[in-house]
Amino acid sequence: MTHPASGTPVPDDVAIRLVGLTKRFGGTTVVDHLDLDIRKGEFFSLLGPSGCGKTTTLRMIAGFSDATEGSVVLGGTDVTSVPPHKRNVNTVFQSYALFEHLDVAGNVGFGLRRKGLDKAEIARRVTEMLELVELGARSKSKPRELSGGQKQRVALARALVNRPEVLLLDEPLAALDLKLRRQMQVELKNIQREVGITFVFVTHDQDEALTMSDRVAIMNSGVIEQCGTPEDVYERPRTAFAAGFIGTSNLMTGTYSGGELTLAPGITVPLPGHPDLVDGSTTSIAVRPEKIWMYEFEPAMVRIAGTVVATVYHGATTQYLVDVAPDVRVTVLEQNLVRSRNEDRWADGDSIELGWQPDHAVVIH
Amino acid sequence: MTTLDAAAASSATPSATTPVAPAPARRRRRSVEGRPRIAVAFTALFFVVLYLPIVVVVLFSFNSRKSLSSFESFSTRWYVQFFNDDALLSSLRASLVISGVAMVGSLILGTMLALALERVSSRPSRILGTTALVPLVTPEIVTGVAALLLFTGLGIKLSLMTVIIAEITFSISYVAVIVRGRLSAMSDDVEEAARDLGCTPFQAVRLVILPAILPALVASGLLVFALVFDDFVLAFFTTGVDPQPLPVRIYSQIRLSISPAINAVGTCMMLVSILLIAFSLVVPRLFGRRDSGLDLISGG
Repeated sequence: MTHPASGTPVPDDVAIRLVGLTKRFGGTTVVDHLDLDIRKGEFFSLLGPSGCGKTTTLRMIAGFSDATEGSVVLGGTDVTSVPPHKRNVNTVFQSYALFEHLDVAGNVGFGLRRKGLDKAEIARRVTEMLELVELGARSKSKPRELSGGQKQRVALARALVNRPEVLLLDEPLAALDLKLRRQMQVELKNIQREVGITFVFVTHDQDEALTMSDRVAIMNSGVIEQCGTPEDVYERPRTAFAAGFIGTSNLMTGTYSGGELTLAPGITVPLPGHPDLVDGSTTSIAVRPEKIWMYEFEPAMVRIAGTVVATVYHGATTQYLVDVAPDVRVTVLEQNLVRSRNEDRWADGDSIELGWQPDHAVVIH
Repeated sequence: MTTLDAAAASSATPSATTPVAPAPARRRRRSVEGRPRIAVAFTALFFVVLYLPIVVVVLFSFNSRKSLSSFESFSTRWYVQFFNDDALLSSLRASLVISGVAMVGSLILGTMLALALERVSSRPSRILGTTALVPLVTPEIVTGVAALLLFTGLGIKLSLMTVIIAEITFSISYVAVIVRGRLSAMSDDVEEAARDLGCTPFQAVRLVILPAILPALVASGLLVFALVFDDFVLAFFTTGVDPQPLPVRIYSQIRLSISPAINAVGTCMMLVSILLIAFSLVVPRLFGRRDSGLDLISGG
């Protein structure tokens, strides 16, 4: 997977390899021995809460921050001690960081002028890039005359026009309102497909990471909790943090014994198909709210009794809070397909049964 | 504007609901078109007190008689006298040189200081930052005496050069404070973006930081030029015998006899200031910016 042993040759399809990358500020370790391979042409997201080290990791890839230990390998070359202006990566900043004294075309052409390309070539590539981000008509505007979404596109164009090996994006959509953000998510993904450049995208927004990425690394306290496709990390979370950070998850902890998990005296959850678990060990399972059924169970499902304590109607769905044991409250999300009217839904205090497919209960390590 | 809008809104809203509205009427009596009369009067008084002495100076510089109390008829004789007075002219030249060199010198050093203070965000830097402000509040006479003692102690002969050195040390703070204000309003990302796009650290400063702080440079440059041009205290303590800076020359002439030629000199000095202001308004526009350096001084 993504934990290369240091010293092994970097395969051709790897754009970035991080080997034991560590950053300490004073006594605090912000990034802790990160090992990661990011493949060429991949849309890769670093997802985590603020302070998890995702931005510091990005800054070390860009060269703005020096690694305390470990190395950054870019396209097969160790660039750990190479200054930012000599690295073939470009960054889209959260604040956009546009140059206010230059117009849109001046901003976008800035990197190309530094590279010493001739004027005609710069003009051609700037025009082409502005067309791509649909700002062809604004090339003479100053940044302060643009809206947030337009500034965002200029920042993107300014970075992409240099055709970097890797494009680094530091929460580029965080400053936009929700509607614009959704729109930019789709556009960004389309642009990435079109140009085929490796994108490393830092975000704290799990929706954003899931909808845009080819792969997601969930970071917490300077380490990667889990790395995989959006489906991997959502359907098969490996740690309690991963299960809790992406979407909501029902975490149930108990003592495992003979294919059952005892949550409280007398209350057990069947947990078949885990021969690796040791009898008597404390085990947690995570079940997604939408994977829990409340009626019309299928034969293979495991079942557990519970009491409805709250019902929240969301329009397309209804959310139930169900107590299955003292101190064990489960969230259940039901599509309002058939039972759409209020009188048909469960009410608070109803004794009901919950059920799920055995393989939807993921054992958390 | 806000008061006007509020008045308009308060008069519009009741008319839509009820025709009789006593509250807005009372409000209107207190302020004519949103401006209280007392404020208008105070503002007028302020400008009279501020500019009347200057108007008098300009007026009497064109007086045909030597009197400083009664105006007879228009004449340019005092200007003629001023422009034929070699001592005064050489003093004017000296003052222009001192101001110009001090402006350039303090711009370079002050900007470097601002960049350094802004870059390092440690405790020592904050202490240094405060220390850099001390010359702003130190009585000038202290700086002047200190500079004189330093120069004589080191055996340096007092000349134009010693005035320039003293004026630069005095002006660096002004530049550093104004430039630093502009820098701190700028996102750190901007410099990193420049580095990201292929700039060496030096190029990042030259191509991105300096253009961004240009209004602050113009503003602090003008301020320093104006402050140094008419600075008397520092110049008095650090100047050599010849040529003396203009303020020192004027002072020594007034001690002998008050000539209306001084009014002509004063008017010329004011003309320099007006030209500087005009210059500061025009320069940023030449670079296609709407904000001028003066906005930074006036806080507009």
